[in-house]
Amino acid sequence: MAIEQHQRPPNWRNATVLKWAAQIAVLVGLVFLFVTLGAQSLDNFADRGLTYSYKFLSDPTGVSFREGIPLEPDTGARALYLGLVNTLRITISGIVVATILGTIIGVARLSHNWIINKIATVYIEIIRNIPLLVQIIFWGAIIQQLKALTDEHIGTYAFWFTSAKGITVPWLFPDQGFYQWLVFVIIGFIAARFVYRWRMHIKEDEGRETYAISWAVGTILVAGLIGWFAHPLFAFLGGILNAIGDGIAAIPAIVIRLMLLVLVVAGVGWWIMRFFRGLRAGDAPQMNNRAVFGLFAAALLIALAVVGGFLALAGGLEGGPFWLSLGAVIAVLVVGLKYLIDWVAPRTLVSGLVDDDYFRVIFAVGAGVTLIGILVGIEAIGETIINAASAFFHFLAPKFDSTNVAAPFRYAPPTVDVRGAGFVQLSQESLVITPGFFALWVGVTLYTASFIAEIVRGGVLAVSRGQTEAGNALGLSRFQLYRFIVLPQAFRIVLPPIGNQYLNLFKNTSLGIAVAFSDIVMVGQTIYNQTGQTVPVVSLWMAFYLTGSLILSSIVNFANRRLKLVER
Amino acid sequence: MIKRLSFLLVVLALVAAACGGTEETTETTAADDTTVTTQADDGGTDGTDGGTDGGTDVGQDAGKSTLDVVKERGKLICGVSGSAVAFSETQPDGSATGFDADYCKAVAAAVLGDSTAVEFRSTTAAERFDVLKSGEIDVLFRNTTWTQSRDSDVGLDFGPTTYFDGQQLMGSGDRFNVDSGQADVDGAILCTNAGTTTEKNIVEWARVGGAEIVVEAVETFPEAMEKFKEGTCDLVTTDGSGLVGNKATETAAGTPGAAEWVIFPSAPISKEPLGPAYRQNDSAWADVINWTIYATIIADEKGVTSANIDDNRDIDPEAGRLFGLEGEVQSAMNLPADAFYQVVKQVGNYDEIYSRNLNPVGLTREGSLNASFVDGGQIYAPPAR
Repeated sequence: MAIEQHQRPPNWRNATVLKWAAQIAVLVGLVFLFVTLGAQSLDNFADRGLTYSYKFLSDPTGVSFREGIPLEPDTGARALYLGLVNTLRITISGIVVATILGTIIGVARLSHNWIINKIATVYIEIIRNIPLLVQIIFWGAIIQQLKALTDEHIGTYAFWFTSAKGITVPWLFPDQGFYQWLVFVIIGFIAARFVYRWRMHIKEDEGRETYAISWAVGTILVAGLIGWFAHPLFAFLGGILNAIGDGIAAIPAIVIRLMLLVLVVAGVGWWIMRFFRGLRAGDAPQMNNRAVFGLFAAALLIALAVVGGFLALAGGLEGGPFWLSLGAVIAVLVVGLKYLIDWVAPRTLVSGLVDDDYFRVIFAVGAGVTLIGILVGIEAIGETIINAASAFFHFLAPKFDSTNVAAPFRYAPPTVDVRGAGFVQLSQESLVITPGFFALWVGVTLYTASFIAEIVRGGVLAVSRGQTEAGNALGLSRFQLYRFIVLPQAFRIVLPPIGNQYLNLFKNTSLGIAVAFSDIVMVGQTIYNQTGQTVPVVSLWMAFYLTGSLILSSIVNFANRRLKLVER
Repeated sequence: MIKRLSFLLVVLALVAAACGGTEETTETTAADDTTVTTQADDGGTDGTDGGTDGGTDVGQDAGKSTLDVVKERGKLICGVSGSAVAFSETQPDGSATGFDADYCKAVAAAVLGDSTAVEFRSTTAAERFDVLKSGEIDVLFRNTTWTQSRDSDVGLDFGPTTYFDGQQLMGSGDRFNVDSGQADVDGAILCTNAGTTTEKNIVEWARVGGAEIVVEAVETFPEAMEKFKEGTCDLVTTDGSGLVGNKATETAAGTPGAAEWVIFPSAPISKEPLGPAYRQNDSAWADVINWTIYATIIADEKGVTSANIDDNRDIDPEAGRLFGLEGEVQSAMNLPADAFYQVVKQVGNYDEIYSRNLNPVGLTREGSLNASFVDGGQIYAPPAR
């Protein structure tokens, strides 16, 4: 021990010190780079007489779109929301259909039936080797060649109706009482869970087939059936929702901001607590989890107070001196945190912390301080959250108003009718797939399905052959073999790459502009054509696609974690 | 250990390089600024440089008038539509013909003495202002409507109106006549091209008349025409001139029903003064564009055409000054003395440009706002003194 102490290298050769220095230098460099670039761009804009602002979000747009609700949004924000909803409609329906289609084609590609096999191969090779944009334009051109609507088409159709103005298909729309009925279905789902467990329990105890899944599905169906007639029972929910909405609106904004602050502090404390708990080697530590949580929550608050105090006092400093002294304050805080970690570690039976561990804790605290800084900095945040939440409940409440027994759904057959001054149109009462939606949806769905098919094929082939042979030896049918042995294992393998395809599909919807589909890109373009606010609109696009992609990938990652084999 | 250390050193070196890089950039920019100022002074464009240093252009050209940029390049880059019948239609060899395209040529003739020294850049309605603001094109002749917001918000300046237009609608002959109004379009699906004033006009017009319409905005106007022909849209709307031009083209091409298409209402639903647009705060360049247009108008007023200009160059003192004889003002604009002589000689006067391009599709000057002020129209130019 003493010898090691003696041999400790000088700071400029000490790997630990150098590593810390490098990390901090990279961070400082990055911040400097972005600040400089940002300032420079703003200067350039100002030089060219361009002033960018987000005012268009609250200004009237005065334009109208082909589809979305409402067709004539009153503000820029509302218009972008319309585009966002249209993008998500394509994304979600596209993902569902592409997954089903892709799986079927992927399995078909492995079929021993020569015709099925070749059809799947040809489909994949054609679709994935033609650029998506070309395919979307192709489908757009196809639908334009369909028949034009004339008086002779007026009427209601049983199955579907295709025309150059779009396609209309039979559809069930939520109607009066739908939300009340939905409550029954949700109750049915919860009940089904218990029924399933109960049947499985009997199965495990007595070893006989108990049809657990059929029972569970049956429970949901029964709940839905009862709800169909009994849903006015839940009419009282409307009043409760209204009361909740009013209650939220009555909360002072400061409370929400305080709650957010507590949430961030608790989140950081909880994360650090879990961090120490995860590294603990042995039982009965001197310091329990709660103490660690409290200690680091306090540390975060102190750091916050120090930074806040510094910013309040350093008002007179500018430029270099300001950044230098801010750097010094942060350095002191970082060193303090390091000592705190060193002090806590032995007391929680944690040893062998490496630099990365220190960085994690310090970055967690740093992120907490930054987040709170933002929350404090943006004054409107509390009010915005209150308004949104209250508006949400007030929006839901009237949906529970209906007290008469009406069918929760309205059946809308494909209908061609006359509108306004005698124009023959697809009825607004039925589901209309506009030419733009059709072209984009078919384009991205078929395209993504071809990639998913290849991934599924790869996943199935990656399941060890022994598994198939074992299944065959048991005398399973081909369907059983796939359903119970191969696909569940293949699913684990294919999930991450399929997640990537979902992201691609989401981002590819931005090609809708080629077929005049009012997605968020087209709406944004319309807005900046009218206002000239290119950069702000582009920044909103980027924020939207980034957030959407991150949410999508975290869903896939979550599923992936749940499904992967537990290894110890 | 050594491996780790060397890695750290590499990281540090990279960071150092990154920081150094930023500093260098800053320095270079500063150095550039100095050079630019000197050059600009040499060029003698103090007019623009004085108050609005760097307010006109981008990149290394900051602070320099577009006029000097064009002269140095020896070629004018002119933004046009490329698909607007009779205004600018792209030809197989990459050039363009039409009313707007001819004005590009006129500017090239004035600045460079050669009406063929033009590079045409086709732009969509949606991208045109960004292309102009970023300095990719020198001037935009793209049947662009002069509006308050574009003049202020969008960061552009507009030149004199070359064509007074107005938005109209076009529909099939069996349903509409020239007097059709809002009540007749209730419930219709309308096609137009995105990023234009027409989009907003039509929505406002329909709302005022209480008509419910659905607007389908496509990228380019030919696409809108395509959708109209196929029946995806019931009506198509844009500037009246565009509708007349497209109807003429489709009729000539034998499209069924095209000859019966009706353009309505007879009093356009909006004012659409079309003219050139350029980056704001570049007076030297603005003067050149504006006076090129005025020169064609003055030549028309005086009856000076490309055919007779050599005989009529000194028809009166004003013509003499404008066409580069005694007392000319062109030198003060940093243009050759015979700049506007070249314009009329190589491209023609306003009437020639108009008749050559717009008469064939059925747009005539007589009785319209585009007649000379002498004949009761709006085409008027300030005096050349």
